[in-house]
Amino acid sequence: MKEDLRDSFIKELQEIKKRNDQLVVLVSDSTSTCRVSPFLLEHPDSVFNVGIAEQNMIGIAAGLSLGGFIPVTANAACFLLGRSNEQVKVDICYSQTNVKLVGLNPGFAYGSLGPTHHSLDDISTMLAFGGIDIFVPSDPEETRQITNYAINKKGPVYIRLDSFSAENIHADTYSFEPGKSVVLKEGTDISIIALGTMIHDVLDAEKELIKMGINAEILSVPSIRPLDPEVIICSLQKTGSAIIFEEHSQHGGLGSIVGEIILEHQLNCRIKKTGVPAGQFAEASPRNDLKEHYNLNKKGIIKAALDILKR
Amino acid sequence: MTNPFNLTFPEIEDRSRRIRKNIIKMNSSAGAGHTGADLSETDILATLYFHILRYRVDDIHDANRDRFILSKGHGAGGYYCTLAETGILDASYLDDYLKKNSITPGHPVRQKTPGVEFNTGALGHGFSVSVGLALAAKKSDRNYITYVLLGDGELEEGSNWEAAMSAAHYKLDNLVVIVDRNGLQLGDRTEKIMALEPLDDKFKSFGFNVTTVNGNNPKEFAMAVKTSLTISGKPHVIIARTIKGKGVSFIEDQPKWHHKVPVGEEIYTAIKELE
Repeated sequence: MKEDLRDSFIKELQEIKKRNDQLVVLVSDSTSTCRVSPFLLEHPDSVFNVGIAEQNMIGIAAGLSLGGFIPVTANAACFLLGRSNEQVKVDICYSQTNVKLVGLNPGFAYGSLGPTHHSLDDISTMLAFGGIDIFVPSDPEETRQITNYAINKKGPVYIRLDSFSAENIHADTYSFEPGKSVVLKEGTDISIIALGTMIHDVLDAEKELIKMGINAEILSVPSIRPLDPEVIICSLQKTGSAIIFEEHSQHGGLGSIVGEIILEHQLNCRIKKTGVPAGQFAEASPRNDLKEHYNLNKKGIIKAALDILKR
Repeated sequence: MTNPFNLTFPEIEDRSRRIRKNIIKMNSSAGAGHTGADLSETDILATLYFHILRYRVDDIHDANRDRFILSKGHGAGGYYCTLAETGILDASYLDDYLKKNSITPGHPVRQKTPGVEFNTGALGHGFSVSVGLALAAKKSDRNYITYVLLGDGELEEGSNWEAAMSAAHYKLDNLVVIVDRNGLQLGDRTEKIMALEPLDDKFKSFGFNVTTVNGNNPKEFAMAVKTSLTISGKPHVIIARTIKGKGVSFIEDQPKWHHKVPVGEEIYTAIKELE
């Protein structure tokens, strides 16, 4: 059954709150953005809506953590890392406060609302900051597991959370491990590596690729930092070709990470990055049109695979 | 919990002189530092640490301690010299000011320096963090008071006014905002660069209990804090009118001394004036 990842996130917070009363949620007029209402109804005194004031939200969250609480902030990723960039850097990362930042509707989830609302730089920004873990869940179950891990772990965490209704794609036995990438399907011809919810398009495309005789290995990278490169290295050594799909700038995202792994480990591997080319804004257009334009849908994924394999 | 020293006002003034001398020595020795800012805040810090703040020198992490955040993080020198005067920070670390891997770096770092509550240095952060701390006290039914010291130039950062709005909204009568109102910032006089006045009216309109005092007078400052805390339902601001570089004639009220340090004969003259 499909579930919006934001609902999975809030449901998990409701569960955690039952055993940990120190959990509090901060929003910046983003109550509906993060779908916090069920939590708010149960715990009206544990949700702080600071108004349209993202800088203040992050500072207050840092202060609440100094006072012993575990604050979770939830607002649009574009404003979290755009407007309150320095607060995230200083009040959370540098000060090592126990705050969990949830960046909602990343990539071009906001589509037609345009570049003011797109978030194509959150991974690169967070990677450049020190002292914060970075996680990107792809389905409801993984969202719940990552949320639970983040709250239990002491210290700053960033979760890139898509407003995306998805089925669970992992095996029932799946257990999120920080640092570990996940092989969702083994293959030998090409490694297709996806960030977050892009994995759903990739799995769709894979069904077509197999009919074309292309045996792709499909990887998901839910843990951007920490990241143990071992699973990725093994796959790249096996297939010798990698395509990375992400709703992010091609500069500083998952594609850059894989490129660095290839370079550092001197792997003999071709690589094709997708996403928005460095130095460009995406147009204000519906999300599906943007995904089409940047080869981030089923058709584009198949095309990219055929291109790199020169078929 | 009480203030561990509870000094009289003449005793606080004596401590201020000692702190100021250490600031001059430390900054001169390091060859850098924000001398004007350090000397500006000294009387406020000495009054807080030797009379107002409730804390334990032997357990600086006591959950019920009053909290102090130096939002004007460039006043780190004055802060370290005050913490050393209390004994929280071993005075020998003042010799390491600004040195490699020092626990007394150019801006406060809570992971490094005993007594430092929060990492500051970028302006316009401490106020919001203090709102969070005060909110945490309310939510957990603890009675600690949160104090935050802002530079006056710092108030040009818009984030402070987001924090001010929320402090009043949450009725944080356990929050005392102190403005080190010396009238100068890095480049020139605040009123010339970006006028702040009427500052008291600005805070009043935001819902604050506002008191303006001579910030270089410990008695006046302490009385203002005590009186403020008898008023409930709204946050407090003390506009502490200070002289930047206070205590050393040639440093006082000079924009160029924001981050200049005494050299040569100036060091001797400054120390002599502070005797």
